[in-house]
Amino acid sequence: MTEREDIDALAAEYVLGTLDAGERAAVAARMRREPALATAIAGWERRLSPLLTAIAPLQPPAGLLARIEAAIDERERAPASASPGGPGVVELQRRLSRWRGAAVAASALAASLALFVGYREWRALSEPANFVGVFQKDDVSPAFLLAVDLKTRQLTIRRISAEPQPGKAYQLWIASARTAGRPESLGLIGDREHKVDLARRDFDPAILQTATFGVSLEPAGGSPTGQPSPGALHTKLMPALP
Amino acid sequence: MLATASELVDLVARTARRDRTAFAALYGATSAKLFGIVHRILQRREVAEEVLQEVYVTIWERAGDFDPARASPITWMATIARNRALDQARRRSHVPLDEAPEALQVASEDKSPLDAALVSDDYRRLLDCLEGLDAERKQMVLLAYRDGLSREALAQRFAKPVATVKTWLHRSLIQLRQCLGA
Repeated sequence: MTEREDIDALAAEYVLGTLDAGERAAVAARMRREPALATAIAGWERRLSPLLTAIAPLQPPAGLLARIEAAIDERERAPASASPGGPGVVELQRRLSRWRGAAVAASALAASLALFVGYREWRALSEPANFVGVFQKDDVSPAFLLAVDLKTRQLTIRRISAEPQPGKAYQLWIASARTAGRPESLGLIGDREHKVDLARRDFDPAILQTATFGVSLEPAGGSPTGQPSPGALHTKLMPALP
Repeated sequence: MLATASELVDLVARTARRDRTAFAALYGATSAKLFGIVHRILQRREVAEEVLQEVYVTIWERAGDFDPARASPITWMATIARNRALDQARRRSHVPLDEAPEALQVASEDKSPLDAALVSDDYRRLLDCLEGLDAERKQMVLLAYRDGLSREALAQRFAKPVATVKTWLHRSLIQLRQCLGA
């Protein structure tokens, strides 16, 4: 087969849908750099898309548009910056999101939260990450700061004002589309920074942008049930300060 | 809410200019179609809803990239939806329900103008060309494209090795391209 035929065959299988996950990702990446492949794919989409006519429409749930708009809001809103010239309270808006299986309630975390995080500390954590999340008990007491670099898919979380609890551990969770919202553990958060390689765990950026992250307080070895204990704090990613 | 192709082009253009009302209208006009496509592939309601949410966020972000000269707006949107659904379906963690999807669904009687943007001669010509394939190979192509079955699922379904599925699909697609003539 000539190279042109190879590219066309690959494009056809991509559009048809039968490539596996790795092959799909490879094609998606190549498509951006190779106009010949992009053109071949466009050609196959044009040929096959009439088949979509016969697929019956299905009404999505009534609240979905609101969730979409909320996701867009978070993407577009930048957190308000603190007054320059010294540490102060960083006020960040938090958006409640669905958190399956755990009620958001007053918890043992509440007792241990201090009030302030310095602006500088915020900046230090959020560079070079381009998305951040804040776990707050209320508007003025960030317990943890989360930073995610969506390009490298590296996550860092740091305990800010949450106090260590003897005999207990803070555990980080993610609830996303890939598990239909069921929380997956991302490990225990120690005293220092806790880092997670999300690329190794097969999370792609689109999933991370709409995922909900949670922190729960668990017995020393982590959750005995494999799911977060009630009272977890949660957050979603929003763009970091420029 | 029904919308013609040119109305959709206008809504996409206004969405690109960050008009939230236009975006909501675009959603109203197209979400059932896109949800049908996504749900058909994923079969699980909650996952399909999460994926549909991501699809519309992507549409919001990429509205400025849409070029009406290259594709109709609904095809552009449906492609984003299909690709996202397939990415999800191909994840190791995705478990499809064990249901047999209908092989060839008859198009609904009340064809909306939305479908008219997809249909016409192109659809008829494609169906004719599909008829030129062996029955099993035609089934395979339809199950792959509309239901998002993987090579492994098709191999199981047709009791053939995966390599045979690959060959059949490859040859069928070449035949379709020759038949369509473009």
